[in-house]
Amino acid sequence: MEDYKFLFKIVLVGNAGVGKTCLVRRFTQGLFPPGQGATIGVDFMIKTVEVEGEKIKLQIWDTAGQERFRSITQSYYRSAHALILVYDISCQPTFDCLPDWLREIQEYANSKVLKILVGNKTDRDDREIPTQIGEEFAKQHDMYFLETSAKEAENVERLFYEIAAELISQARSKDGSSAAAAAAAARQADTGSSIGLSSLSAKAAQSNCCGGSGSGSSTSQAG
Amino acid sequence: MSDELPEQFDLVVIGTGFPESCIAAAASRIGKTVLHIDPNDYYGDVWSSFNLEALNQLLEQPSPSLLNASYTWHDAATETNWTREALLAKSRRFSLDLCPRIAYSNGELVKLLIKSNICRYAEFRALDHVCMLYNDELVSVPCSRSDVFNTKTLSIVEKRLLMKFLTACADNGEDKCNEDTLAFRGRTFQEYLEAQKVTPKIASCVLQAIAMCNANTSFEVGMQRTQRFLGSLGRYGNTPFLFPMYGCGELPQCFCRLCAVYGGIYCLKRSVDNICQATDSQELLLSSAGKTLRATHVVSAPGYLPGMVCELQPHISRGLFIASSALGSEELNKGGGGVNLLRLLADEGKREAVLLQLSHYSGTCPEGLFIFHLTTPAVSNDPAADLAVFTSQIFKAPAPQILYSAYFTLTTPTNTALSPVKSVYCTAAPAYELDYDAAIENAHQIFSQLYTDAEFLPRAPDPEEIVVEGEDPSALNENSLPEDLRAQLQEMDITE
Repeated sequence: MEDYKFLFKIVLVGNAGVGKTCLVRRFTQGLFPPGQGATIGVDFMIKTVEVEGEKIKLQIWDTAGQERFRSITQSYYRSAHALILVYDISCQPTFDCLPDWLREIQEYANSKVLKILVGNKTDRDDREIPTQIGEEFAKQHDMYFLETSAKEAENVERLFYEIAAELISQARSKDGSSAAAAAAAARQADTGSSIGLSSLSAKAAQSNCCGGSGSGSSTSQAG
Repeated sequence: MSDELPEQFDLVVIGTGFPESCIAAAASRIGKTVLHIDPNDYYGDVWSSFNLEALNQLLEQPSPSLLNASYTWHDAATETNWTREALLAKSRRFSLDLCPRIAYSNGELVKLLIKSNICRYAEFRALDHVCMLYNDELVSVPCSRSDVFNTKTLSIVEKRLLMKFLTACADNGEDKCNEDTLAFRGRTFQEYLEAQKVTPKIASCVLQAIAMCNANTSFEVGMQRTQRFLGSLGRYGNTPFLFPMYGCGELPQCFCRLCAVYGGIYCLKRSVDNICQATDSQELLLSSAGKTLRATHVVSAPGYLPGMVCELQPHISRGLFIASSALGSEELNKGGGGVNLLRLLADEGKREAVLLQLSHYSGTCPEGLFIFHLTTPAVSNDPAADLAVFTSQIFKAPAPQILYSAYFTLTTPTNTALSPVKSVYCTAAPAYELDYDAAIENAHQIFSQLYTDAEFLPRAPDPEEIVVEGEDPSALNENSLPEDLRAQLQEMDITE
C-alpha cells in the first residue's frame, strides 16, 4: 500500500487563461511558465504534502481545456473534496463570470465541498479587481479567499497547504457536514463504498474459478 | 469566451453519446485533432442521466430519438412525506438514466476502461443481488461460492446440483468438448438444462439470471453467457455486475475527458447546419454557427446529420419509476437498500425485460428512495403497454410505494448509416443489451474504418509517469516510466 494517510481530490475551475494550470504546475513542480505542449496527456497532478505530521496525497485536477467553450463535464466535479475557483485580478470579465461558475458548481458538485476563491496574477500591475471586492464576494458565497501569483510563487504553497489542513480537520471531525468527512465515513462503512477500478484492477487479477471467491470480499476503496 | 475555434480538424464528432465519445477519445488518443460537439447543452445525448426536473422537461418535448413520452405523479397514493414538491425539491439529487446499463466485472466495458486507463474517471457500485421471480416470489440468486453455501433459497441437494452444473459449464470449452455437450450443439440451452436433471428452481436460477436465456436461446449462446457470468464473479463484490456511480450518463463523459486531456476541443450547444465535400480537396466542409470548418472525417450520432432523412422505428420501451420502498424482502435490501438486478420473462419466455433497482448507494437518488428502471425491446409505439406484462409481475402486493412513473420509447433508424456524403460515419442508436458490448463494437468498428491499424484506446499513462520538460527525468524511478520506455530500458540492461 502506498504511504499516505489521506487522499484528497481538488479540482480547479474558472475562465480560460486565469492561470489554473500555472497554479497547479507551480505547486506540484515548481515550474513557471509550464511548457505548453506538456499539458497534453496530463489531467491531474499528484503531490504528497505533510501537514501536522500526516502524509496527505493531493490529487489536483485541471479542466483539460473544456472550460473554453463552457463545456466542462459534470463528472469532473464528482467526488471532489475541495474546489478552487480562480479568476484573474487584472481581468474584470473573469471576475464577472464567477456567478456562472458558482451555478455550475452548485448544480454538479457535492454540496459539502470545500470552496476556495482565488484571485491569481497579483504580480500584474494592471489590477482591475481590488482585494476587498474579491474578499467580499467570497464571504457572500461562503468561500475561503486568497490572492496568489503563480509567476512569483506567492501564496501558492499556502493555498494548497491550507486546503490540506482544512480537509484533514474536516475528515477528523467526522460530523458528516463536509465532503471529506463523508468520504472518510464511507470508507469505514462498507455499505456506502464505491469501487474505483484502477485501485482494484490488481485485485481483479485474482483467480476466479467457478463460483468465484465471494467469501469476505469487501469493497473497500483506496481513496 | 473570446477565443475562437480552430477551423481545421482531423475529425469532427457530432453527438456526445457513448459510441461517439469512444471514437472521439480513441482518435484524440492517437494524436488526431478532434472537435467534439453536441447540439444539446448536456453531455451524453440519449446515453445521458438527468435530474428529475430536466427529465420531465425532456419528456414534455420529445425528440426523434425519444418518442411516446409521458410521466405521472402518484400523489394520491402517498402515505409518506414524499410529495411531488418534496421530490422536486431534491431534483438535483436524482440522476435518471434514459439507457440504464450494468457492466460485467470482466466484460468488454470494464476491460476497455482498465486497458485505456479511463477507469480513473469512473467509480462503480457492485450490484448487491441478482434476483429472480420464482413462484411469484422475489429471491436472490446465489452467485458466489459463499452465497451458494449460505443461501436459504436452495436446499442442500440443490446447492450441490447447482455447483456441479456451474462447474461443468465453466469447464465446457472447445478443447474439452465431451460427448455430453456435443449432443446439444444446435439445440436450445433449455433442453440442455432439462437433460442435466436439475430441479425446477435451479433451472429458473440458471435460465433467468445466470445464462440470461429464454426458451429459444441456443445451447451455444446460453453456454457462452453462463461462462461470461461465471468469469465476472469474485472480482468486485458478491455479484458479477457493476453499476456506474451517479448513473450511466457518467460513462460517455469519462471518454470525453480523455479526449480533452489529449487536446480534443469540446463545444456543447453547437450543431452542424450543412456538410458537403470540398471541391479542392478530399476534406469535408461543415457549416456550424456561421462558421466553416474543415474536417477529414465526420462521425455523427443518428439524427444529427443535416440533410439526412432518417426513418425511425421504436426500438426500446422504457419505464422509469421512483418509489419510497424497495422491491422484495428486507433480506434483499440490507442496510437501506440494494442495487439489484431482476430479469423478467413473459409470454412463455418469448419476451424479456430487465429491471434494475437503484438505491441511494448508487448516487442516483436521495436516501430513502428507490429507482426502478424497466427496459424491454419495443413491440409497439406504446411503452406502457409493452411493459404491462412485466409491471404486473413485480408491482403487486406487497408492492413498492410508487411516487412517480415515466414511460418512453427509444428509437433506431430503419436505414442504418446511409449518409449523404462519403467519409461521414453514423453511429448506432442504443441497442437492447445489458452491458456495452454492442456499443463498444460499433465504436471500435468505425474507428478501425477511419484509422486502419491504429490501436483502439491504448493505455493512457498515469500522471506520475509523464516526464515534463525541464524536469530531471533521473529523479523518477523506473517504475514510474511509461511501459514502452521501461521496456526499452530493460532491453538496454540485457544487452549490456
